[in-house]
Amino acid sequence: MIDFFIQPLREDFFLRALVAILLSSTTAGCLGAYIILRRMAFISNALTHSILPGVAAAILLGFSLYWGALGAALITATGIAWLSSKKEISEDSAIGIMLSFMFAVGVGLISLSHAWRDFTSLLFGSILAVDKNDLWIISLTTAIILLSLRLLHKELELASFDEEYAQLIGAKPALLRVILLMLIALAAVASVRLVGALLTTALFIIPSATGVLLGKNLVQVMCWGIGVAILSGIAGLYLSFYFAELPSGAAIVICYMIPYLAARLFTRRV
Amino acid sequence: MRNFLPSIFENPLSAILPAVPYAKEKKVDCHGVAIEAENLACSAQPGFPLAFRDVNFSIPCGCRAALIGPNGSGKSTLLRTLAGLNPLTKGTVNLLGVAPQFGRSRIAYLAQRPQLTPFFPLQLRRCVQMGTYAHHGWFEECHHGEAAIDKALDLLDLKELADRPVHQLSGGQLQRTLLARATVQGAEILLLDEPFAALDTRSREIVESFLFHSQNSFTVLMATHDPAELKRFDCILELNHGTLKTLHACAGHPHRHD
Repeated sequence: MIDFFIQPLREDFFLRALVAILLSSTTAGCLGAYIILRRMAFISNALTHSILPGVAAAILLGFSLYWGALGAALITATGIAWLSSKKEISEDSAIGIMLSFMFAVGVGLISLSHAWRDFTSLLFGSILAVDKNDLWIISLTTAIILLSLRLLHKELELASFDEEYAQLIGAKPALLRVILLMLIALAAVASVRLVGALLTTALFIIPSATGVLLGKNLVQVMCWGIGVAILSGIAGLYLSFYFAELPSGAAIVICYMIPYLAARLFTRRV
Repeated sequence: MRNFLPSIFENPLSAILPAVPYAKEKKVDCHGVAIEAENLACSAQPGFPLAFRDVNFSIPCGCRAALIGPNGSGKSTLLRTLAGLNPLTKGTVNLLGVAPQFGRSRIAYLAQRPQLTPFFPLQLRRCVQMGTYAHHGWFEECHHGEAAIDKALDLLDLKELADRPVHQLSGGQLQRTLLARATVQGAEILLLDEPFAALDTRSREIVESFLFHSQNSFTVLMATHDPAELKRFDCILELNHGTLKTLHACAGHPHRHD
């Protein structure tokens, strides 16, 4: 029985994946609380999905996957801002337009390369994919995100709760929103190796939705989100280790649903 | 556990980082005039027809002023314009000698229907504490202000509700909470948009005794519909058909602009 838990730990790739999921879960738990509470699930979905063409282009042209992903996320964010600046187009239509367009470009680029097999790991994540270099990048983005969230905690909480009051006292809620979106893009880019472009959005949304059911204030929501994300993430990694055909992203997201459903069934909403 | 959680978020960085205020506050001698408007014209939103035009009035410091008028006469628009939330089409407005702009801790505004994010997990006390943010800046932690918060909770009879999540409050309790936040802010001008609309008699008495207490030196401009209420005010402004009339100016302040 103990061997069941110990054996994967003897593998280097598993340890790297473990560290990666710990770091990604921490950032995702913190950012996810804002995403859920501010109802930004759709835009974070668009940001994470739109990573795909960037990653595909990076592989085709041979530059770093992270630059490609970051560039694609930036293009999507500016695209959404530009499209929704026209009054007739609401923001969620703009998000829908950019999301499907970027995804289509991604599929087009992948089909150009005639190598669908390599891309399943990009779409759904792979436990084998995280190398040392990735760990450095994940650590760096985690540090940036946690530091920013810590420094802006008071302002972000206020702007998420009462945007008008934030505006009145001069705490620039529009700027805070842009910062939050950039942090989401950064976190999505960092976790794309392990969870995959299609499923990174679940990393932000499901554990934090559990947190919102359980936490009484913002910090508690974040802590619950992080806890749920870490535990289910580790469970997902084990699942993916023993069922080699199951991509790690899919395994992790399946594991996320268990605490969410438990919280949903066993909390009374007052 | 409850004490442990926030302590993780205790901020050692704020000691190192410089204090960056949200906005620079200009201090100007206002010559005893709290609010002054000249030839003011505004629309409710950019692109809408003008809600009122050629509005002139002045309210001295310490005055409790009522703003009356039928529905849709532009009371809310006027208050939002004074708060800086609505651009003015024409004319000038000065509050304490300075044009409306964001980041002014000396001015508090309470909307008729506050646009709060629904189901945001926030306890009442923390919401009231947000009133102190106006005096802080970026990256700064708010340690002080506990005494002011306690006093405001006491004043508006919110002590027992302090740990209640904001989304579980009734309309009147929420109104009192936001008023407490404005109190904690220590504003010199309170712009209130029908603060009594959601209040029961008891809450109303609490709020009234706070607003009209002679020791409180702030200036109040309040939109209201209640004719019985009007005799308590020093000054009554009426908005109707796009113009503003000063029905009753503050006694003892000869400089009227009507």
